[in-house]
Amino acid sequence: MRILSYQRMSTEDGPGLRTTLFVKGCPLRCAWCHNPESISRELSAEWIGVRCMGCHTCVDTCANGGIVAEQESVRIDNDKCIRCFSCVSACPTGALERKGEDASISEIFAELIKDHAYFGADGGVTLSGGEILLQSEEAAELLRLLKESGVSTAVDTSGYCNRADIDRVLPYTDIFLFDLKLADSARHEEWTGVKNGRILENFEYLTELRREASSKFGLWVRTPIIPGATDDEENIRSIADIIGDKADRWELCAFNNLCRDKYERIYKDWNFKSSELMTRERMEALVAAASAAGAKNVRYTGRTRMEEERA
Amino acid sequence: METKYLSALKKPGQLPERVKFLRDYFFEGVKRDWNNEYCCYSTGTDWDLQFNEITYFIVPETYSFFDTFLRSVNQAAEVIPLPEGFFEMSIPERVAEFNRRAIVEHMPAELLPGDLLCGARFNMLTSMCLTKAEQKKRDSLTAKARESALLLYKRGYGNSGSTSGHLIPDYEYIVKYGFEKKYEDIKALYDALTEMDKKGKKGAQLRAMMTACQTPRELAIKYAKLCREQAEKEADDKRRAELLHMAENMDRVPWHGAQNFYEAVQSLWFTHMLVMADENYPGPGVSFGRLDQYMYPYYKKSIDSGMTEEYMKEILGCFWFHCNTAYDAQIRVGGNQGITAGFGQLFNISGMGKGGSDMTNDLTYLLLDVIDDMSPILEPKPNVRLHRNTPDKLLDRVVDMVSGSQGAPFLLNFDERSMAGLLREAKMAGAEKLINEDNVFDYASVGCLENTMVGNDRSGTVDNNINLLKAMELVYGDGKDFIPFKDDMSGKWSKQTQDGPNTGAPETLDNFDKFYGAFAAQLRYCIKRFVDNYELTEVIRSKYQPTPYLSLLVRGCAESGRDVTEGGAELSFTTFEGVTFATTVDSLLAVKYLVYDKKECTLPELIEALRHNWEGHEILQNKALHRAPKYGRDDSEADDFAARVMALWTDEVWNYTTASTSRRYRPGMLSWNYWVGAGYILKASANGRRESQFLSNAICPSNGADINGPTANSNSVGKALGGKSEYGDYLEYLNCLPNGASHTITFNTSTMADADHKEKFKSFLRGYIKNGGTALQINILDPEMLKDAQQNPQDYRHLLVRVTGYNAYFTSIGRELQDEIIARESHKGV
Repeated sequence: MRILSYQRMSTEDGPGLRTTLFVKGCPLRCAWCHNPESISRELSAEWIGVRCMGCHTCVDTCANGGIVAEQESVRIDNDKCIRCFSCVSACPTGALERKGEDASISEIFAELIKDHAYFGADGGVTLSGGEILLQSEEAAELLRLLKESGVSTAVDTSGYCNRADIDRVLPYTDIFLFDLKLADSARHEEWTGVKNGRILENFEYLTELRREASSKFGLWVRTPIIPGATDDEENIRSIADIIGDKADRWELCAFNNLCRDKYERIYKDWNFKSSELMTRERMEALVAAASAAGAKNVRYTGRTRMEEERA
Repeated sequence: METKYLSALKKPGQLPERVKFLRDYFFEGVKRDWNNEYCCYSTGTDWDLQFNEITYFIVPETYSFFDTFLRSVNQAAEVIPLPEGFFEMSIPERVAEFNRRAIVEHMPAELLPGDLLCGARFNMLTSMCLTKAEQKKRDSLTAKARESALLLYKRGYGNSGSTSGHLIPDYEYIVKYGFEKKYEDIKALYDALTEMDKKGKKGAQLRAMMTACQTPRELAIKYAKLCREQAEKEADDKRRAELLHMAENMDRVPWHGAQNFYEAVQSLWFTHMLVMADENYPGPGVSFGRLDQYMYPYYKKSIDSGMTEEYMKEILGCFWFHCNTAYDAQIRVGGNQGITAGFGQLFNISGMGKGGSDMTNDLTYLLLDVIDDMSPILEPKPNVRLHRNTPDKLLDRVVDMVSGSQGAPFLLNFDERSMAGLLREAKMAGAEKLINEDNVFDYASVGCLENTMVGNDRSGTVDNNINLLKAMELVYGDGKDFIPFKDDMSGKWSKQTQDGPNTGAPETLDNFDKFYGAFAAQLRYCIKRFVDNYELTEVIRSKYQPTPYLSLLVRGCAESGRDVTEGGAELSFTTFEGVTFATTVDSLLAVKYLVYDKKECTLPELIEALRHNWEGHEILQNKALHRAPKYGRDDSEADDFAARVMALWTDEVWNYTTASTSRRYRPGMLSWNYWVGAGYILKASANGRRESQFLSNAICPSNGADINGPTANSNSVGKALGGKSEYGDYLEYLNCLPNGASHTITFNTSTMADADHKEKFKSFLRGYIKNGGTALQINILDPEMLKDAQQNPQDYRHLLVRVTGYNAYFTSIGRELQDEIIARESHKGV
C-alpha cells in the first residue's frame, strides 16, 4: 500500500480520538488542497529549509545531479531525481524528507493499532487520502484486520471512485466521511478537476444502502468552505438538497492556511496563499443556511479569523 | 515539583470575603505586617547551632548560603532557659522538651483577621540541643559530609543527602482519636518495657514521644485562651461568636478526637504544622494523604447536622492560606517572596478502593471546587487519582479544570501503574505483610507525586538524585572525568582522578555490548558512590537529629522505640531518583547508531566531538540529534532499550541498604529542577545535546524527541516503566519505579476547546490509565515558548502545533502564521 503518513491522536477525522492514515494518490486536484503532497501517487523527496544546515551532503551524494545547490538553499530537480532517496538517507538533519512509501498491510496495521487504548468507545482508525479508495483492495484488508481487533473504522473519501471500491470496504467500515464540495458539476470541475456526477452517484448509492436494515454504517458529509470557491450560500443550500436527511452529520470545514509552506516545498504556486481565514460569523451563517435548508446536525470545524480583542 | 501552578491568566474564583482577604494578604509577601518567618531558638551555650545543612544537600542552589545561614540563625536565636539536668537527658528527650518550650512558651500565638483556624506560626529553627562534645563530633561529621556532597554535585553525579519531610504522618489517627489516645498507646508501650529498657535508648525515645504528645495540647490551651481574650474585645457579634467557636475547637482538638468537619480540619492543621516545626523545615513534602477519604465521615456528619458546603469552603480556604505560609520561612531570602526551596504539602483525592471500586465522594467534588476557586496558588498541592473505574463525572470535572486553568491545577496520579510499583517494592523488600493487594489501594503521594504508603512509611523520596548520564562520561574517560570540571567558586579545574573502575580505553570498546558493559560498570560505581555519600548524612541525622513529635505520628516508631530518623517507621526506605533518563537512553542509542551500527565515526572520534562541545562536528551532532533513534516515539526498539536501561539501574538500586538505619534503597523518577541545573555541569552528550542545554526531565522523552504526539509519548513511558505482561505486579501492569515517575505533556488549548474535544481528551486520559505512567502533569502550550521557537528555530524543529486537528511544524510555517498562532494561544482562556 502506498502511504504518506500517520497522524495519531487525531481529533478531526471522525468521532473520538483516532489514528489517521494518509495515503498517496488522489484523482482530484482541489485547488485548495491542504495536503498537496498527497495528490501525486509518485514518491518524491522534499526539502524543508528551516531544518537545513547547509552542508550540501545531499548535493555530493546525488549521482544524478538531482539536487542543485543554490545561494542559501538546495533545489530538487524532479526531472533528474530517480527516487533513490540516497540524499534523504545521507541528510544529517532530516531536512530532506521522503514523501510516500510502500508498506505492507501488517506493518501498517501494527502502527494503526498502537493507540488502541486511547480510542475509547467512539474513536478508532480513519483511512484518509489522497484518495483511500484508489487502493480499495489493500484498504479492505486493513479495515478487516482492524475490525477483527475490535477497532472502530472510518473511511474518508472524495467519493470519486468505482462502486466496486465502495463494495470492497463496505463490510468493514463503520463510518464513511464523504466529501461533497460543490453541488454544481461545472464548478466542481473548475475547482477540483473532475465533474461531480460519479461522486453524487456514489453518495446516492451509500444512502440507499443505509435504508436497508442490515447495513449499520454511519455517514458524515464534509464540505470544505473555501473563500471564493465553495463558500456561497447557494452552494451550501444545493448540497443541503442533495443530503436531505440522509446523513448523520454534516461538517463545514473552514479553510485552512497552515499548509502554505507545503506548496513552497513542492515548488507550486498556491492560489490561496494570501486568502484569509473564514470569519466566525460567516461560518455560523453557513451553518444556519444549511440547517434552514433542512439538513440535520450541521456544524463547522476549523479555525476562523482572529477577532479583534474584545474588552 | 517542576509543575507550573502559577499562570498569568487564571484568576481565582469567587472567594468568600475572609478567604479572599487571606489569599490577597499572603501574596503581599514581604509587605505584610505579620509573617511566619523562622523563629530561632538556642540553648544559649557557646557551641550551639540550629541550622541543619544536610537537609539542604539536595538543594544545590543553597550550598553557597550554608555558612551564612548557620551564623545568622545562631545570632538571631532567642535563648530559652533550660531545665535542671537538661544535658543529662538523651538527645531525643532534650529535643522534645526544648521544642515543647519553644513552641508553647516562646513562639508567638496569633490570630489573623477573619481566620477560622488556630495555628499561625510554625516555622522555626531550634537548637540541636547537643553537649559541647556531641556538637564537636557532629560538626566534624557534617564537614566531611559536606565535602563529599559538594564533590558529588560539582562533578556531575547529582546530589544526595538525608532530608526531612516527604511522608504522610498518621493524621487520620489523630483526627479520629486525638493525641490523648496516642499518649496512652505510647505510655502503655513504655510501661511494658523492662527496667533495663526504660533506662536505655528505647525508654528515652518513648519518654521523648510522650513529652512531644503534650506539645499540641499545651499549644491548643494557649490558643483557646487567646481566642477568648480576643472575643472579649471583639465588637462585631458575628466575629465574636466565631472566636468563641474557635476556642471551643481548641478545647477539644487535637487532644481529643474530632466530632465534626470543622474540628477535623482544625485538628489536621494543628497536627500538621507542628510536624514542620518539629523538623525545622517548612512544608518539605509533608503530605496529607487521601484527604477526601479520611475526612469524609466528618464532612457527612456536618452536612447532616446542617453545615453548608459554603461554610466548609471558608474553613478550607483558611486551611489553604495556612499551608502557603510555609513559604514565609525565608521570606526575605531570594527575590520571589522567599520561595527558594521546594515544597509540597500534597493531598490526594479520589482513587481506587478495594477490588477496583471507585472512592470518589461528595467531598472529592467540594475539594475540587476549592482547588478551582483558590488556584493559582502553590500550596497545598492537589493530586487527583485516576483508575479504570473513575467515573465520567470526575473526568469531566478534571478536564474542565484543565482547560480553564491554562494548565492543570493538580497532578494526576494513575492507580494501576502506581500500585504495581508498590507491590513490586513489597516483593523486593519482603514487605508483603505491609503492602499487599488488600491495602495497596490506600497508598498516597507525597511532595510532588512520590508514591508511598500512609502513616507508616518514610521512604526518603527525594534523597538521592542521580544523573544517570554521568556513567557515560566515566566510560569515555575509562573511569575518570573525560573533561576536567571547573569549580564555580574557586575557578579551579579539577584533577582527573581514577574515580570509577577501568572499563577499557574507548578504542578497545569495539562492539556495543562492550560499550554497554562499560556503562553498566560505571553506573554501578555511581550508585555505590551515592550510597557512601548518603551514609555520611544518614549517620548524622539518625544520631543527632531526632524528631520525636513526627515519630509519634509514624507507625512503627513507638513500637520499635526508634525515632523515624533512625529507620523506626514500619516501612523505611530511601529513594534514588533517576535524573537524565531519556538523555542517557538517547545517548546510548546514538552511540550504538553512530559508532557501531552505521559506523559514522569511531568512539574516540565521537568523544573528541563531545570534548569540543560538538563545535566543528556539526554534521555528526545533527546525525545524533536527527538520525539516531530516540526514546519517546513509541518505537519498539528504542523503547525496549529504554526498558533495559531502566531494569539495569533499578536492579542495582535494590542491592543497597543504609548501614546505620537499615533503610532499603528504592528507585523512582522525579527530577524536580535538577535537569535544568545539571545541564550546566554535565558535558555535551552523545544524543546531540550541547553543554548547558537542558537534560531530559524525569521519565519524559528528551526535549523535542516526542515527534509522534502525546499518545506515542505516553506509550513509551509505560513501556519504559515495564509495560504489561500476564505476570504483572498489579493485574497486568509492571512498574520498576515504586516511587513513581514524573511525566509532563504540553497540549494546545484547541485540544480541549469545546464539549466534543473535551470528550476526546477524556479518551486520552482513559488511554493513559491503560498504557501510561504513574503521574501526569498537563501543561498548556506557553506562548512564550512559541516566541522562543521563533527566535531559535533550531531548538524547536519538531515542535508540532495542532490547530483544530491539523498538525503543522511550528518553525516551518512562516512568520505571519506563527505570529497568529502565538496571538491565539495568548488569548485563550480569557
